[in-house]
Amino acid sequence: MALRPGDLAGQAGGRALMALPAAFVSIFLLIPLALSIVISFWERAGFKLKPAFTLASYTDFLGGVRLVVLERSLVAAGISTAIGLAIAYPIAYYLARHMRRDLARSILFLFSVPFLVNYVIRTFAWTYLLGRTGPINEALQAAGLVGKSVDWLLFSDFSVQVGFVTSYMPFMVFPLWLSISGIDRRLTEASWILGAHPWGTFLRITLPLSLPGIFAAAIFGFVGAFGDSAVPIILGGVGYQMIGNSITSTLDVLNYPLAAAMSSVVILAMLLLLGFWFLAFDLRSFLGKIVRWRV
Amino acid sequence: MLFEQGISRRSLLRQSIGSAAALPLIGQLSSRAFAATKGTVQFADIGVGDPGGDWSKYTAASGWGVNLVAFGNAPSAILNVLIAGGGQGTYDIINIVGGMQKPLVENSLIDEIDTSKMPNWAKDSFVQKYLTQGTPGFDFIGYDKKIYGVPTVIQGDSFAYLPEATGGELTSYGALFDPKFKGYVALEDNYTTAGQKTALYMKAAKLATIEDPHDMTPGEIKAVVDFLIEKKKEGQFRVIWNSFEQSVGLLVNKEVYVMDCWEPMVFVANSKGVKAVYAKPSEGYLLWAMAAYIVKNPNRTQEQTAAAYALLDFMLGGWYGAKITSLRGYMTNPQAVSYAKANTGEFSADEAAKVEAITKGVEAKLAQGGTWQNRWPKNVETYESEWARFKAA
Repeated sequence: MALRPGDLAGQAGGRALMALPAAFVSIFLLIPLALSIVISFWERAGFKLKPAFTLASYTDFLGGVRLVVLERSLVAAGISTAIGLAIAYPIAYYLARHMRRDLARSILFLFSVPFLVNYVIRTFAWTYLLGRTGPINEALQAAGLVGKSVDWLLFSDFSVQVGFVTSYMPFMVFPLWLSISGIDRRLTEASWILGAHPWGTFLRITLPLSLPGIFAAAIFGFVGAFGDSAVPIILGGVGYQMIGNSITSTLDVLNYPLAAAMSSVVILAMLLLLGFWFLAFDLRSFLGKIVRWRV
Repeated sequence: MLFEQGISRRSLLRQSIGSAAALPLIGQLSSRAFAATKGTVQFADIGVGDPGGDWSKYTAASGWGVNLVAFGNAPSAILNVLIAGGGQGTYDIINIVGGMQKPLVENSLIDEIDTSKMPNWAKDSFVQKYLTQGTPGFDFIGYDKKIYGVPTVIQGDSFAYLPEATGGELTSYGALFDPKFKGYVALEDNYTTAGQKTALYMKAAKLATIEDPHDMTPGEIKAVVDFLIEKKKEGQFRVIWNSFEQSVGLLVNKEVYVMDCWEPMVFVANSKGVKAVYAKPSEGYLLWAMAAYIVKNPNRTQEQTAAAYALLDFMLGGWYGAKITSLRGYMTNPQAVSYAKANTGEFSADEAAKVEAITKGVEAKLAQGGTWQNRWPKNVETYESEWARFKAA
């Protein structure tokens, strides 16, 4: 079928429209990322960088204590993602299945309110709440539950997880809600009619069909926590470092190749994660729901 | 260090709202003020060198205005802004904690200072006394026998403690490692402050062979970090702090009783009703100075350079020195005390007394000695990697 002039104009307009974000991504994301990878193989000559191909920075990173920091970052981000999903999923499920859509949207709006408060200030607030002389410890003592202040509430793995979960869990609710609300209700109704137990229906129908949303939420939670540098500093206590802190530290002595090598490994880890997402799930099944919902 | 003493969140918020409402008016006034001047000196500062926004005396004397811009103090931030961020074409002067000459000079980012262009330089006996060539203090303003920085602040640091909690006076850095305060100690996340103070203590207590805490060998740094890791594993430290606000909170909330920190944190804690004391350790102090550098810019006009020198000279003068000492609690220059005392219309008797007390206090610290902080030691990368080991342990 021959294309009409209007169609051609529309295609050209569409390409032009796509060119802008594509150029933006290329200039501000891909080129700096490529440069970072290239510099990770360079040598240092005094305060300057010398183009070369050496694995010295990678050897330094993978053979030193910074690898421990990377491992800690992966574990801490993984734990906070799991906790975030455990909290966000029931909330998203309830909003999608048991609440009027207008009310659900209002609740979702409330989940975005914390983002109006500066992230660092929000994190600092936890030091007051969880501190030895803070209101939580005072309440615990007043209730007679503990004899003296509980030290592990602050400057511990626990407080870091509190910081991560409260920072990134709200981000996780949105894709989960979107995913669950896009599941065809007739499927769950059919399961019920055929006599399946509610848990069986959930495990065999709702959960599998919401997996793209779960993975999207996991990406939001994991990437956020993994790259966070403020929460570990403010709530972590005695030198709790994530990989972002370690990269900043190497920049302070102008070791750009090492910082670039660390960044490249982080990028690789993130790309592997995203690659897994693309391989394991049909992205269109998730994005298609967004389109349908918006229509 | 970065804000005025005694300021509360509420008053800060009130002032911010008021400032926001007044922004259009300020914009008009400042553009008129700049229009009335010959030009503007671009002054980047880490928060210590701002005399409450009042540059009127400098403007009246030179005909130039000052545009103060907030600036980071971390080496990476400084170099990145000057090299990659176009800072060389933007700023005339950067006022940061000194000792950064090596990376700044070797990257051609700052100019050598011509001290003859500043009449107040010769009047600053502190330079001769504490920062002269051949002494560790020189490393804060000089490099390769040349002057690159103008000293704007000189100070000696130790640690803070809450006497009611510790049960009396503490006079040694050993308090930071005393099992009596296990779990109630905080250190700064900085190998050139906490690391050097620990080295000073270990040398004095003969816990390790450390020739010079000012510039340690890799083996000496390793010994310091091994000691810190041992203490960390014993549960000695509650937290390693990173910001002024965080450290003040630790004292005010009595989260820790002994803390390696800067003196202004004690002033703020006291202003909030918490009895905190800045220790006078027998081992001495961690001495340091701020330096104002002229940013190298081949395109800068002679008039602009002259204005920058005039501003540096103004900063070595009595009014600026007294104002900064009064506002920030740091010693500045020898003229500050006499200026504050002589000009009762500008400084109250209490303010003049405060300026004198602070100046005498810092002079006493310098007389006792200790170790000069070294922002860029020979083995700086070993410092960084060893500190990373301490934090990861």
